[in-house]
Amino acid sequence: MNPHIPTIRDPITEITFWSRFGGAFCLLSPLLLFLAFFYVVPFANLIQESFRLTSLDGQVSDSLTLHQYIKTLSSSRIARVMERTFSMSVLTVVITLLLSYPIALLMIRIKSTPRTIILLVIFISLASSLIVRNYGWVVVLSDKGALNAFLQAIGLIQEPLRMMYSKVAIVIALVHFSIPSMVLPIYGSLLRQPRSLTEASLSLGGNSWQTFRKITLPLSLPGVFGGTVLTFALSMSAYVTPLMLGSPSSSMISQVAAEQLLVQLNFPYGSAIIVTLTVLTFILVAFYATILRRVFRADV
Amino acid sequence: MQTSKAPTKNSFNYAVSITAWLALIFLLAPVLLTAIVSFNSSFFIEFPPKAFSFKWYWNIANIAAIGQSTLISLSIAFVAALLCTTLAIAAALAIARYHFPGKVLMTAFLLSPITMPMVAVGIALIQFFILIGTAFTWYSLLIGHMVLVIAYPIRTLLASLTLMNPSLEEASLSLGASKFMAFWTVTLPQLKPGLISGFLFAFLISFDNYPISVFLVRGGLTTMPIEIFNYIAQNLDPTPAAFSTLYVIIVSLIIAFAERRYRIISYSIK
Repeated sequence: MNPHIPTIRDPITEITFWSRFGGAFCLLSPLLLFLAFFYVVPFANLIQESFRLTSLDGQVSDSLTLHQYIKTLSSSRIARVMERTFSMSVLTVVITLLLSYPIALLMIRIKSTPRTIILLVIFISLASSLIVRNYGWVVVLSDKGALNAFLQAIGLIQEPLRMMYSKVAIVIALVHFSIPSMVLPIYGSLLRQPRSLTEASLSLGGNSWQTFRKITLPLSLPGVFGGTVLTFALSMSAYVTPLMLGSPSSSMISQVAAEQLLVQLNFPYGSAIIVTLTVLTFILVAFYATILRRVFRADV
Repeated sequence: MQTSKAPTKNSFNYAVSITAWLALIFLLAPVLLTAIVSFNSSFFIEFPPKAFSFKWYWNIANIAAIGQSTLISLSIAFVAALLCTTLAIAAALAIARYHFPGKVLMTAFLLSPITMPMVAVGIALIQFFILIGTAFTWYSLLIGHMVLVIAYPIRTLLASLTLMNPSLEEASLSLGASKFMAFWTVTLPQLKPGLISGFLFAFLISFDNYPISVFLVRGGLTTMPIEIFNYIAQNLDPTPAAFSTLYVIIVSLIIAFAERRYRIISYSIK
């Protein structure tokens, strides 16, 4: 019963909220203030705008209504464009994954010099302009472009194929755009796998294909998830690529929303379309994450 | 037993290698073919090339407002990258060094601008700027680009901070350095690869942006991607091929230099 003992401070109860989180708060506050003002408020305003009504003379009334969403969801054009955007995005994700995974696998197998070169190519692609990369596909796919010239030279076709301004051209360019952002997370997750696991599988008599299916692929699912989600989100909201390589019959949903703002000057309707796209993409990604967790028991 | 397994093993490895090399050719082909077109004298895209010519490179100067728009793009990209990298250092330090409730959610929020549809960001911002009366100014364009690129330096700095050895900073503190001195002389130099690659990507992403800028510009305020895009939409000649080739060469030199000097790639992988 020493009376001095209670004066020793209990480090757990004495630490106040401020002394624990004050440092983090001070460091975060400039960025949070910036984002609150120029990111959260504009998006809140966008959502509010999407609940407004436009009259025929372009006047926007103050009362809130579901009108723009009813219009968005009941429009057969929006439904068609949304369905097209979704199917093109899924196709893009699948092709990108099938092309990117082998690159990542190759990179962990080869020597360091060729690996560095491949990484440089990936990074330069990532850093190169989207417009420049899309223009590359104009060069390849146009009527007198490289692919038609090649196919004619080997005698496979007589007349040039119309490949530009189509869904095919857009998907090709989207895949090309997405490969770097798919390769890097998969390569990262392959690097983190202990080599000993695949060696153990091979030495226990599993062949390469079995080892890939049972060991490498399941362990790389977090990387696959990261890459596919990013590719899906970027394809769903693609704007420049369908604008450069598509036609009105292959337009994607971002174009329809942008057209409402830039051409029709119907801000509430354009806002409702883009909010619908954002929410839909979010729901689909959450659904996809749940499937990966439940079915493949992946840690994503 | 061994003989029956060997072909399967090899066929899988062959399939992986062949697909990977084909995918890499797919990645490089458009760029190389664009370079070929840029040196062809023909007035439209044509294969095989007819005669060598440099004229499309000289014709870059005839793209409308190319000088003025490039200057605006450069200034916006530089200031946006600089301010965002500075904001990101503080934020990344807070996330990497402190434990606070809601940290995972906070990190997801700070990185979320990457996955937002760019057209949504553009539409949201232009309505907001019209509301507060600053639409179509250099400053509003700058803010739009900051929202666009803020996540890149946060991501690279978080990667650098998790790779960093904290004992060095602790050592400098225990040897009598002030907190500021320790940060400036010990922590910051270790963050260099993350800082450089964060700044670089913020700069390049901003410099290249079309979908956000297109909502925020009007009249004399214009950016390089917008002028290039308009040129491609209105002309069929290979001037954009010359421009593209130049662009890719410059970007390649920057990335190769940054990798050689600061090892940005090795750091952003892990």
